[in-house]
Amino acid sequence: MQKSRFLPRGRKDRTMVLVDIRETKSVKAADIFLQVRPGKDFELLTILRAMIKDQPISDAEVAETGVSIEALQDLVARMKAAKFGAMFFGMGLSMTRGKHMNSAALLTLAAEMNAFTKFVAMPMRGHGNVTGADVIMRWQTGYPFGISFNRGYPRYNPGEFSTVDVLVRGDTDCVFVIGADPGATMPQPAIDHLARVPTIVLDPHVTHTSRLAKVHITTAPAGISAPGTAYRMDEIPLPLRPALKSSYPTDEEVTRRIKEAIQAKPDWMVEGPQRLETQV
Amino acid sequence: MLRITGGSVYDPANSINGEVRDLYIADGKFVDKESCDSGRVIDATGMIIFPGGVDVHTHVAGGSINFARAMTPEDHRRTQAFIRTKTRRSGLGGMAPTTFATGYLYAGMGYTTVNEAAVPVLSARHTHEELSDIPIVDKSSLVLMANNEIFLDLLEEGETERAKQVIAWYLWAAKAYGIKAVNPGGVAAWKYGDNASQLTEPVSGYKNVTPGNIVAQLAQIIDELGIPHPIHLHCNNLGAPGNVSTTLETMKHLEGRRAHFAHLQYHAYGGDDWGTMRSASVELAEYFNAHPNMTTDAGAVLFGDTVTITADGPWQHLLYKLTGRKWGNLDVENETGCGIVPYTYKPSNLVNAVQWATGLELLLLIDDPWRVFMSTDHPNGACFWRYPEILQLLMSADFRKECMACLPANIKNRITLPEIDREYTLYELATIISAGPARALGLKQKGNLGVGADADVVIYNRNVNIAEMFGHPRYVIKSGEIVIEEGDIRETPDGREYIIKPSFDPGTDDFLQPLFEDRYCMSFENYPVEMERIENPHLQDCKPQQ
Amino acid sequence: MITLRLIQQPAVPLEAECLTPDRLVELTNDQIRAAVLYHGKRQVRVDEFFQVDGELSDAIELHGDLSRVRHLGRQMSRGTVTIRGDAGMHLGAQMSGGKIEVFGNAGDWLGGEMRGGRVHIHGRAGQQVGAAYRGSLVGMRGGSIFVDGAVGIETGMRMKRGLIVAGGRASDFVGLQMKGGTILLRQGAEIRTGAWMQRGTIISLVDLQLMPTFAYSGTYNPTFANVLAGRLAKLGTELPFDVSEGGYDRYCGDRAVPGKGEVLIWKPT
Ligand SMILES: [Zn+2]
Repeated sequence: MQKSRFLPRGRKDRTMVLVDIRETKSVKAADIFLQVRPGKDFELLTILRAMIKDQPISDAEVAETGVSIEALQDLVARMKAAKFGAMFFGMGLSMTRGKHMNSAALLTLAAEMNAFTKFVAMPMRGHGNVTGADVIMRWQTGYPFGISFNRGYPRYNPGEFSTVDVLVRGDTDCVFVIGADPGATMPQPAIDHLARVPTIVLDPHVTHTSRLAKVHITTAPAGISAPGTAYRMDEIPLPLRPALKSSYPTDEEVTRRIKEAIQAKPDWMVEGPQRLETQV
Repeated sequence: MLRITGGSVYDPANSINGEVRDLYIADGKFVDKESCDSGRVIDATGMIIFPGGVDVHTHVAGGSINFARAMTPEDHRRTQAFIRTKTRRSGLGGMAPTTFATGYLYAGMGYTTVNEAAVPVLSARHTHEELSDIPIVDKSSLVLMANNEIFLDLLEEGETERAKQVIAWYLWAAKAYGIKAVNPGGVAAWKYGDNASQLTEPVSGYKNVTPGNIVAQLAQIIDELGIPHPIHLHCNNLGAPGNVSTTLETMKHLEGRRAHFAHLQYHAYGGDDWGTMRSASVELAEYFNAHPNMTTDAGAVLFGDTVTITADGPWQHLLYKLTGRKWGNLDVENETGCGIVPYTYKPSNLVNAVQWATGLELLLLIDDPWRVFMSTDHPNGACFWRYPEILQLLMSADFRKECMACLPANIKNRITLPEIDREYTLYELATIISAGPARALGLKQKGNLGVGADADVVIYNRNVNIAEMFGHPRYVIKSGEIVIEEGDIRETPDGREYIIKPSFDPGTDDFLQPLFEDRYCMSFENYPVEMERIENPHLQDCKPQQ
Repeated sequence: MITLRLIQQPAVPLEAECLTPDRLVELTNDQIRAAVLYHGKRQVRVDEFFQVDGELSDAIELHGDLSRVRHLGRQMSRGTVTIRGDAGMHLGAQMSGGKIEVFGNAGDWLGGEMRGGRVHIHGRAGQQVGAAYRGSLVGMRGGSIFVDGAVGIETGMRMKRGLIVAGGRASDFVGLQMKGGTILLRQGAEIRTGAWMQRGTIISLVDLQLMPTFAYSGTYNPTFANVLAGRLAKLGTELPFDVSEGGYDRYCGDRAVPGKGEVLIWKPT
């Protein structure tokens, strides 16, 4: 592990605490392992928020989470004594009951820890360049995901416009999939909808989604034979330098050509004002 | 080709003060009468003509404003929406406008050049991608240097010549236009929850490096490299009561060198704490007026909602504790960081009222309009699209009095604004929003209606309501093309990006690579931004001084 | 009265923010028919989807399965909207007055960020009833929402004032980050009720699983229960308050914030 001016002994100067519902391979790498009961992440994090503020919490309440009060007191003491704390979290938190609120709990705890010492938190993102998509959507539309353009300007409402919800409710009459395989991960009603409507997939490989799709365009794999930029999970952009050449077009080229073809068709938008002072 | 006839021209770069002149445009530049014999004629009789606005200090692209966008969906929903057309992308205005809307809004109020004032080298690639999505206006960017670990280490070891090579290398790696220094030493210390508040005290982790010698060395390096824009400095102790002493001390460290002091309002406070905070604009302006080596931008504050974003992480954490609202923080490994806090400036809040007055006082007390420029440190003091409100405050002492009536009664003795009756002339306004900032940036082709300059022009209908007049130009012309006409967007051409290439020792790569690989978690060859990634790059001269 | 009957199911959601009493009261029958709805990305006339009877009235009645029709009664300040069938998302969002009654179910964001007026759903309601939209610091600021059936997650999220009554069981995160106002749960709720609440009152008539960061602080019969019971009685629903019938266990929290909210759980004698 990286040595640095302030941590000259590298790993030895660091303490790693792993929190999970079961013993995973990562336990070996950790100094401390806390096994939380499934579905109790939000409660555990909320208890920690109270504990760092010296709010009284009873042992019985803590025991519900599967972690002992002593273990939590030790954790809080270590967190406060740390020079620089970092929390990493993934889909075990964000995709289980409580979803975004589990992530919110961790982020809030990290923010509140800064009253005592330096603390940060960062999501470990899923497959593909999720961070990159987030970053670009934000600068172009103001929002990271769950965006609707049907009114001619961006609107945001996770739950209403997020992909899984739109598909489950069957709110679209066409689906365009790029850099993802929803057919492998989404709930059955969403998959049924993908099969029901015209689904167009851009992917270098045959995927669960491409099997459901009406159209599958094979594209060059990004980073291997297509250049571009990937955003690291801390939102630092890295250039992709292709090692191979591909006879397939890139996602970008296909998308651009589809866009040009659509632009050549008559527009459905009705002439109106250039801007709206109040949105829907 | 385009002719603009009969308008009253305000062109401070050529000492033209409201005289009726005709302007001739061909191939995106002003030309003489003979070279423009056809094309559209705009009859500007009775109208007012300014060079296109130049914003010397704004935050419109990159990791921090993009983080602010993520944090404020509630503001995006309540703001104006730009509807897409077949040729124009949609966007949202508000506190942290989207990139496309940023271009529309700047052009919409007659601005044609903007300088993004804070770019970490590590995320410069991201900033350039965003800049290329800001249409219409020309752009430049400043790279953050004063908390860079490798640079600070070189200063610690007294290796100033090497430090100069490294700075030049970094500047080119970032494809930037100049150097910004934010809270020198303080942001580096913040990574460990610390700050740097004393100019002559060592930065935590160092023995010899002090904020004072960081700024002095950087200013010297910038002069030696011949970078067109001087050191762009965000002093230590931003926002803190009594910080005027730090600011004055910093100015003394820079005597005899060129320097641009960013958002001076935030560095112009007297008093000892929030309870006794007062404006120190008088003493600051007095020193400033006597030292022609310096320029500044106001960093003025307007009452209302905004989101504050700055590389000054420690300050932002303090602001979060004060507001109890949202807070975001980003650290950029080895280089810098930034904090984001949504904020509402209220006239009833004594501190906010002092800030509001201080910004205006500086604009009014600094007597040379060539050295003080319009800015709100967008979005920190207010959003850039509210500049016309400030112009109105500058042009009308009566309007200022009206506004001052809303301030708390105990503001007396804390501000000087009630005693100032100066009113800006149109000529002076044209200087602070265009000619002055263009000169400070070293962009001779901007803020200038003379033959050979870029044909960026704004034409206003005369209007007694100054904010209305400057907020809604009749025509905005960018590189000879009419982009705004009577409030409507006509064209959205891509702007240029200005960059410089200072010369540096070719061995700098070999020097940096091992240091870099020791500290960064990115590979060395991925670090510099490739030239191909800049859309419409425009290389400006950068010649070392003799 | 204006009657709108859905004559065909929209293929994709239909956005109908123009169908509010404030707007329709000024329109003739022809104008209502010509008013604009958004069917996905396309603008359509009201009469493409609705048979329209009546004009110039602030009493609107809608018939049919409107579960894909969104933004009905948006920002309304007066009049009535009666729906005989299900209603889609954002019903009565940001409304400030008037009354909405649904003889069927309502979708998500019912009464989102509303400021006043009354909403009565005879069936179920979706998620985020009376809640703040994403990023907003404040949800519902006034008015009342009665749902006879169940309500979804994050009911009353960040609400500041007003009243929400759920006749059926509520899902997770009732009163999440609540800042004020009252939520009455007649059939209790799933987990995490009152999580991160700052102020406000959540009353449950059946036992409730609480967050570990709530503390028991006595059993009593608050006078405001008496007052609230009187108010609710006028609206046709009961609230026990008499000492002879039982008392309320009071829990304070959420201490993670730390907040001064209260959760009252009715314990009959
Ligand atoms: Zn700034």
